[in-house]
Parts: sequence; structure tokens; C-alpha cells
Amino acid sequence: MQLKDNKHIGIGFRKDFSEEFLASDVLKPAFIELAPENWIGMGGYWKKQLDKAAEKYPITCHGLSLSIGSPDDLDLDFLHKIKKFIKQYNVQIYSEHLSYAKCDNAHLYDLLPIPFRKDAVKHIISRIKQVQDVLEMPLALENVSYYTPVAAEMDEATFISEIVNGSGCNMLLDVNNVYVNSFNHKYNAKEFITKLPLDKVSYIHMAGHEQISDTVIIDTHGEAVIDQVFDLFEYTTGLLKPVPVLLERDFNIPELKELQGEITRMETIVSKTWKKEHAIA
Amino acid sequence: MPLLKEDTHAQQSKLAHYCKTGIKPDLIGVIEENLHHYRRLVFNIGIDTIETAYPITYRFLPDEIWDKLVYDYYAEHKCKTPQVWRMPLEFYEYCVEKDIQSKLNMPFLNDLLHFEWLELEVHTMDDMTYPSFTTKGDWLNSPLALNPEHRLVKFTYPVHILAATELEGKAGDYFLLMYREKESGKVQCMDISILYAYILEQLQNGITLQAILTEADTLFQINDFEMLKEHALNFINDLKQREFIPGLLNT
Ligand SMILES: [Fe+2]
Repeated sequence: MQLKDNKHIGIGFRKDFSEEFLASDVLKPAFIELAPENWIGMGGYWKKQLDKAAEKYPITCHGLSLSIGSPDDLDLDFLHKIKKFIKQYNVQIYSEHLSYAKCDNAHLYDLLPIPFRKDAVKHIISRIKQVQDVLEMPLALENVSYYTPVAAEMDEATFISEIVNGSGCNMLLDVNNVYVNSFNHKYNAKEFITKLPLDKVSYIHMAGHEQISDTVIIDTHGEAVIDQVFDLFEYTTGLLKPVPVLLERDFNIPELKELQGEITRMETIVSKTWKKEHAIA
Repeated sequence: MPLLKEDTHAQQSKLAHYCKTGIKPDLIGVIEENLHHYRRLVFNIGIDTIETAYPITYRFLPDEIWDKLVYDYYAEHKCKTPQVWRMPLEFYEYCVEKDIQSKLNMPFLNDLLHFEWLELEVHTMDDMTYPSFTTKGDWLNSPLALNPEHRLVKFTYPVHILAATELEGKAGDYFLLMYREKESGKVQCMDISILYAYILEQLQNGITLQAILTEADTLFQINDFEMLKEHALNFINDLKQREFIPGLLNT
């Protein structure tokens, strides 16, 4: 993917700040990410904003409703709409969540945890292949934050690795989600990361979260990224080849210069861990 | 043979059902005290989306009625669209199908929800191709070009004019033209009479103003063509100024 100004860090493109973002250059992302579900089939004012953004920045897509882990059949009609959108905006990365958001023909619009089981692994691998065949491009799947396992028969890292390796898809490594899960499920985040299929990581997410009790962190995307997540990011990027990195901020949007501060901090980290001779994947 | 075992499917279904209804499931190997976060997160997304789409209805209905309506909708209805911003249409359709307005004895509820949905729909609907037009020619005897990004609807209650608290007892025939301005993308509303609604509908069908007015003169028992023409031309001029009618269709 050709990133703007040879930088690495992108920002989630939100309607909440699109006007200010496009009218100024306070935020200097290398690319923008958006959920295709929020834009497909939308015209008028928002389509104009999207087209303006697309003229200035490369776009990555991060889907919400594919529901790769659903027991239901894939929605092929929807998938073809995604494909059309991806072509229209020359999108090089399409990522989704390793979770399910639709079950028994009802969309829930949130990310539910899939049972970490062998049959679910097989089921999902076959669906990923189907998606990649339709889209004619690789899918990058994200490790999601979860607040409880359900009917698990293996650990999370094994579940993710078996799916990624078995399907040939890429991985979107969400560093904040690893942190959140390591806190909620009491494991070592760095150790967890080393167990992932790191050679398949094609994209990274960074975000803020909210600790709501002594034992639970909720992945809100509504706060600044905390120092411990920056540290984990530095550790993680040291294990990886250079890939695009996205700052997710969906709620409680601060001044754009604050977001730029987070982008700059990440850019500084990767300029150390990813030496300049690396070309971006 | 399906790759996913029935038992795994059942676990997934139970969690999803719990998120829709809030009724505690029996799931294997879960952290019981964390389960409610899923119900809360899913339900909040649903509620927020509906309340943002229907702010007037939301403010008008008493809290306990609104809460029950939204609860029932989420528990009973299976949301079909993968695009959450389109989901409020399903809420409106659900209310019509379940005849909620009769149950609540609020005969204007369907119109109110319809009106609020239209605002969202017209604002966001896919861009449409404008017809090719010219500004010079015979306005009476040529088909006119209309802004295609519009909806012309009939209401039984004047939900587009009056506050929700004033609607009771106001049943009648009301017509609304709602359209999206091409440049700004802003949604505009015009309350119009049945006569003008008729004219617009016929213009949409490509009929010339002269022919429409000749017909309307007898249909509406006006029997004064010149006066009708004058009024109609004023109406058309207003729509021209609003750029709703940009010109005459190029044929
Ligand atoms: Fe993420």
C-alpha cells in the first residue's frame, strides 16, 4: 500500500470530525480507515465528504458486519457490495473481526466471542476462503477483545493461529485488544503476542480503553491510548516487518491536535523499530 | 455435513439470544459476572441508533412506553440489514406491522415515524442522476426536469407541521415534498396542497403543465383555468428558485 509521505500511522475516518479534519491539516495521517458498512449506498453530503477524503488519503476498510464466525451462511449480496466499494476507492486492505455479529438471521451490530473450538476453526477457515475467493484479495482478521470465553476447548492464541495458518488469510493485530484481554483474562501480553502468527500480520490497530472495575477493561475506543499499550506496541513492532498502523478513536473525540500527538508518538516508535531500509508491505 | 457442530452453534445462538432479550442463558465455561457487558453493549448500540433516528418520537413517548417498545423490538425482531444506520427503517416497519399505534392509542405514530425516517432517508440516500435539462423553452408545453432526490408523501396527520403534542384530532389529508439540495446536501421540506401534490406527481410522469392543468381544472372542479394557471406558475417558480425544478427536460 502506498502510504502518504512515507509514514505509517493512519486514523479512523469518523463523520464526527470529518469536516474539521478535511478543512485543516492538523491531523497528518498516512492513510484513513473506514467501515464500508457506514458508507456503502450513502449519497449526498456524506458521499461528498468521503470523496474529498479519498482524494487526499489512501483508504483501508475495516468491516463490521461480515460476521466471519457466524453459524449463518455468508451474506454474498453484501459481500459483493463490499467488493464494489473496495474497487471504487482502490482499497488495498480489507480487515474484519474474528468474532460474530449476526446469528440466526439477526444482526446484533457488536462483536460476540466465538467458541474457541476445533469445529469453529474449520467452519471459519472455509468461510474465509469463500470471502477471499469473492473479493479476490486477502482478508485480514483482527483479534478482538472479549469479556468472557464461551465453551472454549483451546486457548485464544491457538484458535487465532489455527485459523490464520489454515486459511491463508492475514492478521490484523490489535495491540490494545491484546492488552485488554491480557488484563481481563490474566495472561502475559508479550508472551501472547509471540504465540501469534506474526509473519501473517499485515496491519496493526492501536486504541484506548476504559477500566471499569478492578477486574474488567472495556474496549471503548473512547479514550487516549495508555502508556502500557504504547510499550506493548513498541515491543510488538520490534517483532514485525513494517505494516500500516491505525489509531482507532470512535467516541469522545478530543481536539485533533491531541490525536495527532498520539499519531506522532507512534510514528516516533516505528521510526526506531522499523529502520528506513524496510519498504512497507 | 456442516463443519460447525450443533452444540457449538447452540452456544453461539444462546449468547446472541441473550444479547437480544437479556434473558440469562446457560452457557458453558463463561465468566458469569462479565456476561452482562454483551447484553449492555449490544442493546445500547440498538437503542442509540433508534433514538438518534427518531428524536421526536423518543421525546414524545413516555419513558416506560418507549423503553418497552424498544425492548420488545430488540427481543422480537431480527435485524436484517448489515448496515446499522439503515436499521431504524426496520423499527418503523416493525411498529407498523405490530400496529403499535392502535395499541398505544396514538393514531399518528406511524406518520410520525415515517416522517422522521424520511428525513434520514432523503439525507443519506444514494446519489441519483439528474435528468439532462435546458433553461430555455416553453414551460407550459414541455416536460419539466425535477430534482430526482426527493420523496412526495401523503400523511393522515400533519407530523411535518405540528409538534407531536398537537397532533391529536388533526386527521386529514396532508402532503409533504421532501428533497435534498444538490450542492449542500441539506434536506428541505415543503407542505403542499393536494392540488400541488397532484401537479408534482403528474410532472414526475413527464406530463406537461398545460395538460396537467387542463385535467386538474375539471378534476378539482376549479373551472377557472387562468386563475389555476397563475397559481400553478407561482408554485413552479418557487420550485425553480429552490432549484427543485432546474429546467425543462432535454428531449
Ligand atoms: Fe481494532
